[in-house]
Amino acid sequence: MSEKTNAPEISVKNVSMVFSDSKGNPVQALKNVSIDIQKGEFISLLGPSGCGKSTLLRIVSDLLTPTSGEVTVCGKTPRETRLEQKFGIVFQNPVLLDWRTVRKNIRLPLEMMKVPKEEQASRIEQVLELVGLKEFGNSYPGQLSGGMQQRVGIARALAIQPDILLMDEPFSALDEFTREKLNDDVLSIWRKTNKTVLFVTHNIAESVYMSDRICVLSPHPGRLSAIVDVDLPRPRNADMRGTPEFAALVEKVRNSFEGI
Amino acid sequence: MIKRITSSKGIVTAVWVLGLVVIWEICAFIVGATQRTPVNVLPHLYQIIGSFFDTKSITGSGDTIATLVFSSAAETLSRALIGFIIGMVLGYILALLMHLSHIVEKIAFPYLMIIQMIPILGMAPIVLSITGDISSARIIIAAILTFYPVSTNTLAGFKSVGRERHELMRSYGASKFQLYTKMLIPSAMSYFFTGLKISAPMAITASILVDTLQGGNGLGCMLSQSLKGSMTRFVFWDIVIFSAVIGVLSYYLMGVIERAITPSKRKAKKKAQ
Ligand SMILES: Nc1ncnc2c1ncn2[C@@H]1O[C@H](COP(=O)(O)OP(=O)(O)OP(=O)(O)O)[C@@H](O)[C@H]1O
Ligand SMILES: [Mg+2]
Repeated sequence: MSEKTNAPEISVKNVSMVFSDSKGNPVQALKNVSIDIQKGEFISLLGPSGCGKSTLLRIVSDLLTPTSGEVTVCGKTPRETRLEQKFGIVFQNPVLLDWRTVRKNIRLPLEMMKVPKEEQASRIEQVLELVGLKEFGNSYPGQLSGGMQQRVGIARALAIQPDILLMDEPFSALDEFTREKLNDDVLSIWRKTNKTVLFVTHNIAESVYMSDRICVLSPHPGRLSAIVDVDLPRPRNADMRGTPEFAALVEKVRNSFEGI
Repeated sequence: MIKRITSSKGIVTAVWVLGLVVIWEICAFIVGATQRTPVNVLPHLYQIIGSFFDTKSITGSGDTIATLVFSSAAETLSRALIGFIIGMVLGYILALLMHLSHIVEKIAFPYLMIIQMIPILGMAPIVLSITGDISSARIIIAAILTFYPVSTNTLAGFKSVGRERHELMRSYGASKFQLYTKMLIPSAMSYFFTGLKISAPMAITASILVDTLQGGNGLGCMLSQSLKGSMTRFVFWDIVIFSAVIGVLSYYLMGVIERAITPSKRKAKKKAQ
């Protein structure tokens, strides 16, 4: 862990978040969560529904302000980093604009960043290539399958060339085959682009397959109950899913939930 | 095979129209058999349609029924159209303002409800006596009736834009202007058109109704003259059918315009077929 000496890319210190529910009662979504994430790391946030995974992702990307605690991203506040458009967010539901073609969906953030026209076009072709949707650039989202729509969401996030990729259960609505294919695609994109990735999931095997480290969150109130290092070699491939090392890690992660 | 034919939209419409014709004719026979007045108050359809193409003049100035219907329709419908456009623009602006500011919404919404609840039969004479001019009264009534469905539907459209869509725009650091032009306004487009589809036939009906309040030469005016017996009864039925057709067409026209300006709808439809 020689990187520990460098300043972390994302630093979350003692973050708590309290919402109020419809009756005005306080709901503690996160309690005293602290994580340091290094540049280029692939981190999973793993936990059951309602443990505050999305909330943590929103706090990091300045979509929510924590009740207490401090977050710094690239040495700045999340707000500064957001306004520099350093976050690429992929949502659980791909949030595509149904009146725009695939190309124009990917262009949306580039229009707002005032990227010059020629560069917009070249970036769009580049990310379409990356997610394997070259032939579908002029289709409308309604004409694509769920997996293809999710790829468009990923392409749009990559188009702004973010330093940090935040993915909130991007594949939870997809079937097992599509999910495993997209897992490999995301890993290969990550290898090529060397971004810091924060990946939310509630699938243990998925988190083991993808990550360098897994942050295990437990609910009521949401808190960090363990951080599991995944020392499987990279690049990962589908054969590893059957190895005893993989099974041992899945078991280790599962056990870190017990005793909550 | 049979399933394909029955599921086709054209067949459904044809059956529906045929059913209407049959019911009409049955009623015409019954009313005709029990008539107490010299003329049949409910003529057969072929008589009504025939009268429309009759070349015989029915006024002193040599108008046939068809030319009379067309000239009064031009008079009434042009005012309905102006009112419709004014109501649409103002309704849209109000929806924008209500969405931009909670205070505006809180203040304006009760007024909107009240305007909607006043029966148009009561509102029309008031508007007419204020303006003193049948043409502006028609425009104002059509505008008022268009205003409410357009603004409430469009506002509902703005509000239907989900949390994640807002978060997406926020993550790009979008300005308020960009949020509206790139996300909210296109998202609400189909709601806006729903409002237009509701209000287009209403604007037409309302202008005809305003006509009946005063002499002149609008559709409604001809209607009441025909009912009072100073013109043949066929004028009444011709105008009723003509207006119904125009009302239905105005509804479909909104759909046609919507598809013309939203290419994704056209493509999605193609895929479905
Ligand atoms: N805007 C909000 N207002 C009130 N309560 C909220 C809000 N957002 C989240 N919560 C609450 O905070 C807790 C954590 O929510 P969060 O969405 O972060 O969970 P999650 O781990 O992402 O769950 P899931 O896997 O179902 O997406 C939940 O109990 C939720 O009800
Ligand atoms: Mg969530």
